[in-house]
Amino acid sequence: MNLELVTLLGKKVDQEVYEVIIPTADGEIAVFPGHEPLVGIAVPGAIVIRKNKGDNDDKLDYYAISGGVVEISQKYVRVLVDEAADGDDIVEVETKAALDRAIKMRDTAKNQVELEKAHELVDRHMVRLKVAGLRRRHRRP
Amino acid sequence: MASTQQLKSRIRSVKSTKQITKAMQMVAASKMRRAQESVKASEDYTNTANELLTFFASQGVTDRHPFFQERTVKSRLLIVIAGDKGLAGAYNSNIAKTYINELRDDKKNNIHTKSIAVGRKASQYAVRLNHTDILGVYENLPDKPGANELQAILDTAIAQFESGVVDAVDVIYTKFISGMNQQVTVKRILPAGFDETDVSDDVVNAVYEPNAEEVLRAVSYRLVLAQIFQALLDARASEHSMRMMAMKNATDNASELADDLTLEMNKARQGAITQELAEISGGVEALSE
Repeated sequence: MNLELVTLLGKKVDQEVYEVIIPTADGEIAVFPGHEPLVGIAVPGAIVIRKNKGDNDDKLDYYAISGGVVEISQKYVRVLVDEAADGDDIVEVETKAALDRAIKMRDTAKNQVELEKAHELVDRHMVRLKVAGLRRRHRRP
Repeated sequence: MASTQQLKSRIRSVKSTKQITKAMQMVAASKMRRAQESVKASEDYTNTANELLTFFASQGVTDRHPFFQERTVKSRLLIVIAGDKGLAGAYNSNIAKTYINELRDDKKNNIHTKSIAVGRKASQYAVRLNHTDILGVYENLPDKPGANELQAILDTAIAQFESGVVDAVDVIYTKFISGMNQQVTVKRILPAGFDETDVSDDVVNAVYEPNAEEVLRAVSYRLVLAQIFQALLDARASEHSMRMMAMKNATDNASELADDLTLEMNKARQGAITQELAEISGGVEALSE
């Protein structure tokens, strides 16, 4: 089945895959070829991709996504998200620092606008950190 | 006629100005290329959103959604996108002109106008106007803006529209048609419209999760986001290409001026030599008599 990961900055993924795990409002769903047609909401989290049937867990691809929409049919999966970061591109140390900054910002927010912005940032960096963690766990040499 | 010394220093200053404008032209050219590429990249997103919405429309769910409800326009929100910097030819003033015209029309038709200014030039301009309330000012957005930066603008627009404070949301931006042609455009983004496209049969019988309303909201939200995003990218590409043209003209003018001045300087120098020779030969003549 073909997977398309479409973001504002272009298509991040457009290839044949065997399995894809998508975080949705009602929990994570794993999609295999021949899945029943479904249109749903994706929430911030990690998209996990297994390209070939026999691939081990250390060959999985990870993407940190913000919220979006998923469109699943028998033949393809399309994920429309605002932002997607490749697990390989996320630098764990930097993300951790960014998360700390966001948490500090949340704790010292002076008004509602700042607070909401800080919450968003915290969520965003948490997701990225989680993705980086997942990747490291499976790819340890 | 100016002295050769003066001319020399003028030529020097014109040449150094030329170097600066030339550098700005190169920078604008490379930025324009990058902006054009991101315009292309974001098209996938808009197309996908359009496709999904066409599908929803065929199911008849869009009519119920508040984003798609047309109301008589008694007040509206204008999102004005201009640049942070000048020196881009008529880029900022074209936007300002259209903005003023829109405001004048609204006043005539008794429509109350609110504004969000994007870019320093837009905000400097908007705050001096009387007929509009400024809801927000966004300056110095990064060269490659992401969804994060636009969230605030989008959320304000949607909140205003949904609560009924404004009946329409329009974006004023410069549409990038080609390197030579950019046009100021007023585009309506709310109530939402979408371009009908073909829908693959695969999703026609799809299940909605959690339900149609929420999915529709998520998709429409993203379509509006994509439209604002694309307007911003178009504006960026236009700004850079207009700056490039303006700087190219400035560079050409500087070359021409430097040539003229050099010619004048040579003439002045030759004139001085001729005069000196005449004086010498006059002196010799006088002595020999």
